Amino acid sequence: MARMKFLCDADRCIECNACVTACKNEHEVPWGINRRRVVTLNDGKPGERSVSMACMHCTDAPCAAVCPVNCFYTTADGVVLHSKDICIGCGYCFYACPFGAPQYPRVGNFGSRGKMDKCTYCSGGPEPDLSTAEYEKYGSNRLAEGKLPLCAEMCSTKALLAGDGEMIAEIYKQRVLKRGYGSGAWGWKTAYRETVAI
Amino acid sequence: MRQHSKDLGRRQFFRTLGGGTVAAAAAVASPMGATEAQAYDPGTEETRSRYRLSDHVKAFYRTNGYETLLKNSDPAPGTK
Repeated sequence: MARMKFLCDADRCIECNACVTACKNEHEVPWGINRRRVVTLNDGKPGERSVSMACMHCTDAPCAAVCPVNCFYTTADGVVLHSKDICIGCGYCFYACPFGAPQYPRVGNFGSRGKMDKCTYCSGGPEPDLSTAEYEKYGSNRLAEGKLPLCAEMCSTKALLAGDGEMIAEIYKQRVLKRGYGSGAWGWKTAYRETVAI
Repeated sequence: MRQHSKDLGRRQFFRTLGGGTVAAAAAVASPMGATEAQAYDPGTEETRSRYRLSDHVKAFYRTNGYETLLKNSDPAPGTK
């Protein structure tokens, strides 16, 4: 069984933010929320690195562990999803996530919050596949269409990899053998508790 | 001496109140303890695998690995 993973090759990321834009457009993500963000370390200094970050769909997801209403579930693909019908918008998952992935839209005045929103690995939610209800709540379901997350498919420098964990690890290993380890596969050990060893 | 006895009375009052509160809390909590929290289970249909090694996905693997994989004369992942 394939296990879906993200891998950002920080040596290739040029901080173009195409992944961020593609995600927002594909899923019509509301104002104030970015399911994917590009984080730049040592900006303007030698050794500057940019990393495209979203929900890493962790093996033992901290968001699911702290959710008081247990609205998170993991699919057979290893994708961590949640039900917006059950979410109460408490914000615990935001604090628990090591990547800051779950976010809350401000839907009204006085700091009121709605349902938590996060990356779905372009695989929708608990509603029927490719339905209108699924699109309105979670965005498009590209996995059901036989595709991969648009952020990775749009990446012009091939920095962001998505798909079967073994497959993208193999691609990354080949790159490392060719050019050296570089800055490594950021976040892999945190999310999946394993390294891309060569 | 009179003050001393008054303090004892106050302490006794809170002791009695505390005992009563614990008993009341236990009475309220006991029916809640009977039901265990359950994780959300959306169903087998919703959690089934949707990933397919389609031509679209194979093209993604091929184009992402072409630089190194082809130079190493290994077939690209997904093209075997």
